[in-house]
Amino acid sequence: MKVTFPHMGNIYIAAKALMDGLGVEYVIPPFTNKAALEIGSLHSPEEICLPFKIMIGNYMQAIEQGADTVILTGSCGPCRFGEYCEMQMNLMKRLGHNLDFIVLDVPLDIGAKELLNRIGKVSGASTKTKAQKLKAAVDAFKVMHLIDDIEAKARFLTGYEATKGAFKRLLNSCKAEAMNCKTPEEMLKLLYDYRSRLDKVKTDKNKKPIKIAIIGEIYTIIEPFSNLYIEDKLMDYGVSTKKTLTPSWWYKNLVLSPLKLNQLEIKRKARDYLPLGIGGHARECIGEAVLAHDEGFDGAIQIFPMGCMPEIVSKAILPKISREKDFPIMTLVVDEMTGEAGYVTRIEAFVDLLERRKNNVLSGC
Amino acid sequence: MYYLGVDVGSVSTDLALIDKDMNLIDSLYLRTKGRPINAIQEGLKLLKDKNSNMEIAAAGTTGSGRHIASTIIGADIIKNEITAHAVAALEIDRDVKTILEIGGQDSKIIILRNGVVTDFAMNTVCAAGTGSFLDRQAERLEIPIEEFGDYALKANTSVRIAGRCAVFAESDMIHKQQLGYNDSEIIRGLCEAMVRNYLNNVGKGKEIVPKVFFQGGVAANKGIKAAFENALGFEVIVPKNHGMMGAIGAAIIARDAVAKTGRTKFKGFDLTDSKLVSTSFECDGCSNKCEVVRINENENIIGYLGDRCGKWSNKIAI
Repeated sequence: MKVTFPHMGNIYIAAKALMDGLGVEYVIPPFTNKAALEIGSLHSPEEICLPFKIMIGNYMQAIEQGADTVILTGSCGPCRFGEYCEMQMNLMKRLGHNLDFIVLDVPLDIGAKELLNRIGKVSGASTKTKAQKLKAAVDAFKVMHLIDDIEAKARFLTGYEATKGAFKRLLNSCKAEAMNCKTPEEMLKLLYDYRSRLDKVKTDKNKKPIKIAIIGEIYTIIEPFSNLYIEDKLMDYGVSTKKTLTPSWWYKNLVLSPLKLNQLEIKRKARDYLPLGIGGHARECIGEAVLAHDEGFDGAIQIFPMGCMPEIVSKAILPKISREKDFPIMTLVVDEMTGEAGYVTRIEAFVDLLERRKNNVLSGC
Repeated sequence: MYYLGVDVGSVSTDLALIDKDMNLIDSLYLRTKGRPINAIQEGLKLLKDKNSNMEIAAAGTTGSGRHIASTIIGADIIKNEITAHAVAALEIDRDVKTILEIGGQDSKIIILRNGVVTDFAMNTVCAAGTGSFLDRQAERLEIPIEEFGDYALKANTSVRIAGRCAVFAESDMIHKQQLGYNDSEIIRGLCEAMVRNYLNNVGKGKEIVPKVFFQGGVAANKGIKAAFENALGFEVIVPKNHGMMGAIGAAIIARDAVAKTGRTKFKGFDLTDSKLVSTSFECDGCSNKCEVVRINENENIIGYLGDRCGKWSNKIAI
């Protein structure tokens, strides 16, 4: 068995730690690139959303390297993501690839027994002892949290950095070095080391950077290729960014949701505008917009793939928040286009807008 | 002491030369024809020939080709066209509250309050509300685009044409032609369809209040201006240099930037005699496989564009 998985932000780092710990053979697909998108759009249904196409591209490129099993998270939630696993299984079969899909889903939907059964498929391929397997899982979760933590911190502190590009350089080298680690222990040590190194980067606390919250559909805000590397671009402009939705957030949300204890604050913030979950992460998007305003952010950018139903609903609600709270929100819809000109224009103009607003307010004091 | 603004758009490349009192000394409108380097070089040559002995104190670029333009001329600032348009409009009138801008491939709306941009929007995936669409239809009707507006004003009634999509608008228009409507009625219908599409699409959810400026190449079209005034119910002002606003804005921002830095990076007019060649290659440094463009001036490499990590263009942080 040679396992692979679709890319989504930093998940590949945690997946590497897990598979190394389990001693299971795996393939990390090449980082999502134009070729993956081209392959994906060639085979996918025309009107499906962008994540589907990119994921198919990831599988195909992983197959070239010998992958035969795909691990994927499922969702019976009311958006098209719920259909991804079934559709992708069919599609890959039709293309003549005999892939084994292991779809991990919440016990509420598939039953605890079935979940254990599916996990057993992966861990069965490992020759390690039960205790070692458990440790591998725990280490992988730690890695996920750490890398999400490091990334969030680096992106937020960028606005305060004394030397331009210091945080970006640190973040990039952290990710690159993590991939050279042979064991999960080595990787954890590296990540702890990088996390403390973040605190040593010289910052200027007197700076008043532009702060932007990235909100919207989870895949397109996490997978950098799909949003044309918006966070890296904003880092280059010296803008501090924050995004709440991350793989580790997603996991926490999943565990807490049966108890209805998940993301209480976001739900509370969203109540005035969207009191119901309508699928996807629409309610989170609304809640985060309000939260970002309350936390003193200068603006928010909503990103979603074309045709994303939940986010279309939140897009229609955001202007009201924007008006009532005097809080600029820009929406970017991403699709197969890789031409960046129009996209960069919007981002630059939005940053300009926030900057000028800020200066204007200050001059009025 | 003059300030130069270069706006490299999809359809046209505009160059504006302003003096320190913000008077437009000279302006050029050239077709980009998909070859921005040639257009910029040609533009500079024409400017040089017309105005001898001028000294450029600052240069700025804008438009979708602003990065390549900056590499070539050595710009002090590279600014997006939304900010450039807003700055140019505010220079004319501090009270402007809305800017409608329709160019060749894109259309924008900019909302300003108290002299600050507070909101903006650009057309998304569809080009139905842009100059290219009108160009295409003018061609089909065999009417010069310059006379398009006059035709629209001649009509007493208008024909309703679906403006949602350029392709469907065209078939709708053909259908109406077959029914026997005359050219001016059809053209007025087209103008109204385009305005309707613009307001429903780009202007959706935006509060459009006077003073409204109408800028961009399409503002020359009287039919569209009239259709806007009809739909909005108040006067729409077309500034004198409506087609040059992007370039003027870039020049103004460049002037302000140089006032801070003290000296310009502008390379001078000698480059009109240089041989500029661009070649592209696929970088194989990582799986991104960026298509990198290299620009040579004579024998020297003057810049790289298109690499994401900055390995070639020496942007910050790899």
